[in-house]
Amino acid sequence: MLSFDKVNVTIAGVHVLRQLSFTIAHGATCALIGHNGAGKTTTVRTIMGFTEMTGGLTFNAENLAKVPPHLRPGLGIGYAPEDRRLFSAFTVEENVLLPARVGKLSAAETARRLERAYMVMPELKELAPRPAGSVSGGQGKMVALGRALMLGTKFVILDEPFQGLAPVLAQRYAEALRRLRAHDPDIAILITESNPKLLEAFADTTLTIERGEILSTKKRDGASHIMAAPAASHTGDRT
Amino acid sequence: MDSTIAILAILDGLSYAALVFLVSVGLSLIFGVLRVVNVAHGSLYAYGAYMAATISLLVAPISPWLTFPALLIAALIIGVFVGGLLETFLLRPVYGREEVLQLLITFAVFMIMDNLQRLIWGVQPIFAAEPVRLLPNVSLLGVTYTSYQVILLPLVALGTLIGLRYFLRHTLSGAVILAVTEDREAATAIGINARNVFLITFIIGATLAALGGALASPTTSLVPGMGTDMIVLSFAVAATAGLGQIEGAAVTALMIGLARAFVIYIQPELEVLVPYLIMVIVLLVRPMGLFGVNKVRKI
Repeated sequence: MLSFDKVNVTIAGVHVLRQLSFTIAHGATCALIGHNGAGKTTTVRTIMGFTEMTGGLTFNAENLAKVPPHLRPGLGIGYAPEDRRLFSAFTVEENVLLPARVGKLSAAETARRLERAYMVMPELKELAPRPAGSVSGGQGKMVALGRALMLGTKFVILDEPFQGLAPVLAQRYAEALRRLRAHDPDIAILITESNPKLLEAFADTTLTIERGEILSTKKRDGASHIMAAPAASHTGDRT
Repeated sequence: MDSTIAILAILDGLSYAALVFLVSVGLSLIFGVLRVVNVAHGSLYAYGAYMAATISLLVAPISPWLTFPALLIAALIIGVFVGGLLETFLLRPVYGREEVLQLLITFAVFMIMDNLQRLIWGVQPIFAAEPVRLLPNVSLLGVTYTSYQVILLPLVALGTLIGLRYFLRHTLSGAVILAVTEDREAATAIGINARNVFLITFIIGATLAALGGALASPTTSLVPGMGTDMIVLSFAVAATAGLGQIEGAAVTALMIGLARAFVIYIQPELEVLVPYLIMVIVLLVRPMGLFGVNKVRKI
């Protein structure tokens, strides 16, 4: 499905990604693990087209390097950035629906995807009328996931979703991911995380990245798509 | 100050504020979305005025009433073509570069356009006051004023404010502009083509500047340098309101327009000073402007 082939990214003269090569298959739940500054966010931003890269990057055999960033979500890629990045001028529901409006999805398709987002995260329904700027950090992560799900029909990228979540919210988030996996066994999910233990139980493939290089690729034997909730988050909910 | 002078000052201020608002709201909109302080905005105002006068003088012999649509057509020609060309060929290559580079480019464009304006329209004053003459005068407490200036101009400004608010808050295009304003990358990640949004926003902003010029053209003689005065004043309004603040620009334009008008009658030599004095005082107390907010940008 997604393939990095010797991808290099240089930002302000610093090699952030070096000869990065890995693949993510249909239906895979892939964890990208690394310390701060290892290149996790640059990797996902490269998938979304926000970096200047060299090397090969394909998605479903399509050369992503030739697809402008704003057309990549249309390929079925949903992206929830690390710091939520909701549009505070809108309500939660408007944030979730905006990708469908921009993509000019039919009313039926929009309703289907919204229903899916609500199925994955029932909390979103309660949050729907609230201004996006008023939700807490943890709730914002849920909204960002909901927004990503409106586009992520084939591939969902979650950049450090557990970062800063209180344990109870991390638990809910993990449950949401489990519901997503059960509902859509064919979509691929890429989750970045700095704590290697947190995603051990989630992922069927764990990539460890360090200084922009993949250090190891670990596949879980008999990988199950059933995910367990994390025992606890490493930091508290900051907002 | 007797009541007649006070009423005259209010009407002067209202009329002038309407024009300043149109120009400054365009400047503010462009800054809010593109984060570019467009120094060439004053040139778009001047070109709008000259283009309106040119078309008005052409169509007036056919029917003087055609001079009204001529104002709008002139604004659209300048906003869409000149604004579109500026954004596409001069600003687009420097997005993401140092802000000083963007500022220098728009300043260079301003200088070039100022000289081109002299080449195209010459340096002699141009008069095209037909629209003002066509509309009747109005009397208010013994003061007679042109309805073009005290009714039409404020109505256009009010309509622009309401229309712009509606466009941004209740249409998909407006929502897309707001999304790009707040977070260009997050907007791109949901499928928004930020480049197109930049172009459309710049054209809207440029058209508003040109509309300000076009509407001003029947009320004054067009001379070289008129764009310079307006860019400085509209920048003062936009900065006082808080760059990127549409409603704030309307209130501030009114405030500065009225203050300037009153000063003209009370102490004329302070006319030029007053808008900038207000700006300096406001920015010293509130560096983000009267209506500005820290960090979170709005348009």
